[in-house]
Amino acid sequence: MSANEKNISGTVLRIQRMSTEDGPGIRSTIFFKGCPLSCVWCHNPESISPQVQVHWAKTMCLGCRSCIEACSKGALAMAQPGIVIDRLVCNSCAACVQACPSTAMDIYGENCKPDDLAHEVMKDKVYFQKSGGGVTLSGGEPTMQPLFAKELLSAFQQSGLHTALDTCGQCSWETLEALLPHTDMVMYDLKEIDPDKHKKFTGISNTRILENLIRLGRSMKERGLPGELWIRTPLIPDFTATPQNIKGIGAFIKEHLGEIIGRWELCTFNNLCTHKYESLGIDWAFKKTGLISHEEAGSLASLARDSGVDAGIVHLSGPMRNADSTESMVDRPHKSVINDDVSECRSEGGYA
Amino acid sequence: MNTSAARKTAQKIKEPKNLSARITWLRDYYFQGASRAWNNEFTAWTTGTSWDVQFDEMTFYIVPETYPFLQPFRISMQQNAKPVKLHPDFWSWSLPERKAWFVKEVMVKCVPQEILPGDLIAGGRFNLQTSMCWNEKEAKERDGFIYGKKGVRAQMKWFHDHGYGNSGATSGHLIPGYERALKIGWKGVCKDLEERYNALSPKDKKGKRGAQLRAMITASTMPGELAGKYANLCEKLAAAEKNATRRDELTQMAKNLRVPWEPAQTFWEAVQALWLTHMLVMSDENYPGPGVSFGRIDQYLLPYWQYSLKNGMDREFGKEILKCFWIHANTVYDAMIGIGNQGITSGYGQLITLAGVGPGGRDMTNDLTYAMLEVIDDMSPLLEPKPNVRLHRGTPEELLDKVVDMISMSQGAPFLLNFDERSMAGMMCEARKAGVTHLINENNVHDYSPVGCLENTMQGNDRSGTVDNNLDLLKAVELALNNGKDFHVFVDPITGKSEKIKQDGPKTGDAVAFATWEQFWNSYAEQTRFIIKRCAELYEQSESIRVRFCPTPYLSCLVKGCAEKGLDITEGGAELSFTTLEAIAFATTVDSLLAVKHLVFDKKECTMAELIQALKANWKGYEKLQAKARFKAPKYGRDDDEADAMAKAVMDLWCEETWKRRTVSTNRQFRPGMLSWNYWVGDGFILPASPDGRPKGRFLSNAICPSNGADINGPTANANSVGKALGGRDTAGKGDLQGYYNCLPNGASHTITINPSLLNSPEHRDKFKAFLQGYTENGGSALQINMLDADMLRDAQKRPEDYRSLLVRITGYNAYFTSIGRELQDEVIARISHGAL
Repeated sequence: MSANEKNISGTVLRIQRMSTEDGPGIRSTIFFKGCPLSCVWCHNPESISPQVQVHWAKTMCLGCRSCIEACSKGALAMAQPGIVIDRLVCNSCAACVQACPSTAMDIYGENCKPDDLAHEVMKDKVYFQKSGGGVTLSGGEPTMQPLFAKELLSAFQQSGLHTALDTCGQCSWETLEALLPHTDMVMYDLKEIDPDKHKKFTGISNTRILENLIRLGRSMKERGLPGELWIRTPLIPDFTATPQNIKGIGAFIKEHLGEIIGRWELCTFNNLCTHKYESLGIDWAFKKTGLISHEEAGSLASLARDSGVDAGIVHLSGPMRNADSTESMVDRPHKSVINDDVSECRSEGGYA
Repeated sequence: MNTSAARKTAQKIKEPKNLSARITWLRDYYFQGASRAWNNEFTAWTTGTSWDVQFDEMTFYIVPETYPFLQPFRISMQQNAKPVKLHPDFWSWSLPERKAWFVKEVMVKCVPQEILPGDLIAGGRFNLQTSMCWNEKEAKERDGFIYGKKGVRAQMKWFHDHGYGNSGATSGHLIPGYERALKIGWKGVCKDLEERYNALSPKDKKGKRGAQLRAMITASTMPGELAGKYANLCEKLAAAEKNATRRDELTQMAKNLRVPWEPAQTFWEAVQALWLTHMLVMSDENYPGPGVSFGRIDQYLLPYWQYSLKNGMDREFGKEILKCFWIHANTVYDAMIGIGNQGITSGYGQLITLAGVGPGGRDMTNDLTYAMLEVIDDMSPLLEPKPNVRLHRGTPEELLDKVVDMISMSQGAPFLLNFDERSMAGMMCEARKAGVTHLINENNVHDYSPVGCLENTMQGNDRSGTVDNNLDLLKAVELALNNGKDFHVFVDPITGKSEKIKQDGPKTGDAVAFATWEQFWNSYAEQTRFIIKRCAELYEQSESIRVRFCPTPYLSCLVKGCAEKGLDITEGGAELSFTTLEAIAFATTVDSLLAVKHLVFDKKECTMAELIQALKANWKGYEKLQAKARFKAPKYGRDDDEADAMAKAVMDLWCEETWKRRTVSTNRQFRPGMLSWNYWVGDGFILPASPDGRPKGRFLSNAICPSNGADINGPTANANSVGKALGGRDTAGKGDLQGYYNCLPNGASHTITINPSLLNSPEHRDKFKAFLQGYTENGGSALQINMLDADMLRDAQKRPEDYRSLLVRITGYNAYFTSIGRELQDEVIARISHGAL
C-alpha cells in the first residue's frame, strides 16, 4: 500500500458485531457517517451529517454540569429537560464528551484507520466462517468516503472475508464501479420509484440512483461484479408502503435486472430510533407512527411477488403488528439484545 | 399454569405436548404440589436415643438462606423422628455398619411402598432424614466440633458474614457408577465386595477396612430387597386391577423388579433399575437430588433401548417409560413440601448428559439422544432431570437443528449446552496439574460429564466436591484497598451486635501510599492467596468432621476406588477425589481492578484516598467518580484485549493458588471452577461498594459472565472474552486438547440472554446455529441460553399464580421464576431487556 493510502482514514459511527440483518450470515457492519439523502423516516439520523456530532442523552445525565464547564465555546447550557447544544456554536471538539463522567455527552462519529477497523472485524472471523457471513459497509453512505471504503473492502477481501456494500446508489458511477472489484455483494436501496415522490421523501430525485442500478446490473451480467445483488425497499406507512410503489419497483426490476437479483427485501418500519432524534434535538414526524400490520405488509409482499419478478426473491422482514391485537409480542417497541447499538446498551439501568 | 391468562397476553410460554392420558395425569398430579394426597416429604427416623441427630447441617453450609434455620431444622427433625427397632448388635458395630443397616432398615421395612396410578416405574418415597447413628460419645464429640466460637458453624457464618463466601462438605455432585450397576446388577456389586472382604487379612477384617466393606455389603443388598417389596406390591395391585392393559403393565413391572439385583436386559428394566439405584443414593445421603447426576445416559442406556426396540418395544412406549422416570426425578422437590412452594431452594440438579464426542472424535448422537430430546420437548417445562447437551466440532446438523428448534420454542433453553473441546481441555488440564493422567487422558476424556449444573467430572469414579467452596474473589480487592481489613464494621442483623474491625488479612501496605499499579496488583495478589487459604482452612473443618461422622456406604458402593481402598467416599475413597473452589464475582473483581488502574494510575481521575473514601461512603457524594468507574473504565466482556488480559491475570492467579491447596484429613486437592450459583445476588448485599462503580446491595457478576450490562459489543464479543479468560486457543495446536486451553476443569457458567426475534425465521435460526458453532471454537465450556421477554416476566411478578410453571435458568440451574427471590427476578428482567428498562 502506498504512503498515501496508509494515511487514509474515515468517519465511522460504529461497528455492530453479530449483525443478523445486513446480508447473509453473521456479519460485522461498519456504519459510515454521512449520507447524500435525507429521508424523512431515516432510522439512523445520526448518520446523515458527515460531520461528527455531539449529542446528549437524558437517561444517562447526572446533571453535574461538567460538560458546560469544559466547553470553551459556550455552546452548552442547562435548560429543560437538560443540556441544550447550540449547534451553530459547537465545533464538535468533544471536550464535553471527555469531561462527561457518564457518557451522557457522547459523539456520533469517530475518525478511524482501516487497520484498526480490520482488527476489530477480524475478531469474529470464526463466526463469519461458520455462518457464511462477513463484513458489511453501511451507513450513512459508504460511497461518500470512496477511498476509505475501497481501502477497507480490499483489506477485508485480502483477509478472506465476504464483503458487502449497502448503498443508496446516490453517487457517481465511477465511484461505485471502483468499489466493485472488492465487493462480493451489493445491497442496493430502492426506496421509491416515482422521481417526484423520491425527491419529496429524500430531498433528491432518484434519476441517478436508477441509472446506477441499471449499470450495476449490466456490470454483474457482463463481468460478474458484484457477485450478488440484493434490492432493499423500506416499507414506510403512507410513504413507500404503497401498492403503486411496490408494483413500480417490481416492474423496474423485471425490466432492467432480469434474473440477477438474489433478493428483494421489503423492510418494515419501526420507531425504535425515536431516542436518537431526541438526542440530536430533532422533532421526528414518525415518532408516533406504529408498526405496519401483518396483513398490509403481507399484501404488499404479494404484490411484489406478482409484479413480474421471480416470486422467490421477495423477502419480508422486520417487526409487524397483528391487526386485531394491541398486545402482540411484535408490536411493542422491542429492542433486540443482539442488535442493539452501543448507545442503547450503554443506557441500560445497570446500578440504579 | 393458568393457560387462559397466558393466552390473554398473547405471549408464548412453552406448553407440554404429546402427553398420553397417563403422563398428563401424573404431570398434573405432580403440579398439585402440597395439596396432593401422596408426596415424597422427608420422613425422619431415630435410633430412639436422647442424643440422636438426623439433620446434617454441614450439607447446608453452602446455602446461606438456611443459616437461621439450622437449629430449628435439627430440632424439628428430632421431634418428628419415628423410632426404628434396632438390631440387638447395633451398638457393637462400626459407624458405617450402623449407618448402612439403619438406612436399609428404614427403606425396606419402615417407609411405605406406593405406586401412583398408571406409573410404569416403581420407587416412590425416598426423601429421608435418618439417624446419623452416633453413639453418645460420637454425638458429643461431633457437636463439640460444630458448636462454640471455634466450631465450624460459627466459623462458616463468620466467613459468610464478612463477604468471603461459603464452604461446607456437601452431598452429591457426582455421577455414581450406574452403568456398572445396570450391567452386573447389585448381585455383581455385592459379589465383588464380598470377594474383596474375603481377601482381607484377619487383621484387616477386624479393622476399619473390614468394617467399611461389611457396611458396603449390607448397603449393596438394599436395592434388591426394596425391589422385592415393590414387586410384591405390583403383584397385589395387578390382582385387584380391573383394566386388562394396566393389569398387564403391573404384572410386567413385578417381573421387571428382578432388577436392580439382577443385571438389566430390557429398556424398561434398565430404567427401573436406574431409578431405584439412583433414588437410594439420595436416601443414603439424606439429601434430595443434590447434583446426583446420571452422566451419559443416552450412551449407557442405548444397548437396552436397542435390545427392546429389536424385540418389539414400540418407540413411543419407550418414551412413555422415560416420561415416568422424568416424573419420579421431580419428586425430589417434595422434601420440604410442607414449608410451601419455595422450599429451601428450587435448584437441585440431577443432570443427564446427551450427545457429545466419543472415542477417536466420533460423534455419539444416537436414536436415544433424540428420543430423550423429544421427551424433554414433550414434558417441558419441568425441572428435573436437567439435560445438558454436549456440542462439539462434529455435532451433526440434525442435532443442532433440533437444539436450536427447541430453544426457539421455549422461554429459556430447556437444556444447558456443554462444549466438548473446551470442557475436555479443562479435564486434561486437571490430569496434568494433579498428576492423574492414568485416570484422565486422551483415550477416555471424552467420557467426562457434568454434574449439578455444569460442573465437569469423570463418571463413576469421581467426587470433586463441585459446590463445596464458593469464594468471593472481590473480597481480596477490599482487603487490598484497606491493608488487610474490612471496610465496615459488621453488625449482626439479628442480634444487632457489632464486631470491631480486625486485621483479618495480611498487612499488604497502605494503598494510599502506592505509587504504581504494580504495587496495588501485588497487594491484591497477596490478599487473594490469603482468602483462598482461609477458605481451604474453613473447608477442612467440615471435611474433617464428615470423614469421621458421616459415612455414606451405599453411595460408596457405586464409586470406583472405595471398595478397592476400603474407604468410604466421604473419606476420599473415589479414584478421583478433588474438592472444587468455585469463584464468585469474577467480572466484578476484574472490572474493579481495571477501574483502580484506570482511575488512580492511568488517567489520574482521582487519588487512591478519594477512591477509598468514595467506596466507604458507598459512592454517596461521589456520583461523578462512580459514573467514571462505571462508564469510562474498561470492562471485561467486550473482546477488548487489554481488559481481557486483566481477566486472564486474575484467572491465572487464583487458579494457581487453588491447585496448591489440599485437605488435610482426606488429602483431596482443590481445583478451580466458576459456578457461583445464586451467591452473586446475595453476597452483593454483604460486600461493600466496589471500584467498578457497583454500590453495596447491588448484585455481583455471575460466574464467568461479564458484569451486567458491560457486554456492549454483543454475544460474539462476550463469548470471545469468556474463551480468552479461560486460556483461549493456541493456533499452533498446543494447548491441553486440540489447541484448546481451559484453566477451569470444573467449567464455568456462562449465560447469554437473547431476544426471541433472533430465532423468528429459518434464516435467523441458521445464523444462531452458526453462532453456536463459532462458540465451540471461541467460547467457554458451558452456555445457557435464555430467551425471555421482560414484559412476560414483569407480568409474572405481578401475577405469580398464573405463572407457576414458568421456567428460567440462571447459572445453569433451573428455577421456577415465581419461586426465586425478588432481587433475582429483577436481575433476570434487567438482563433480558438490555436497555428496555
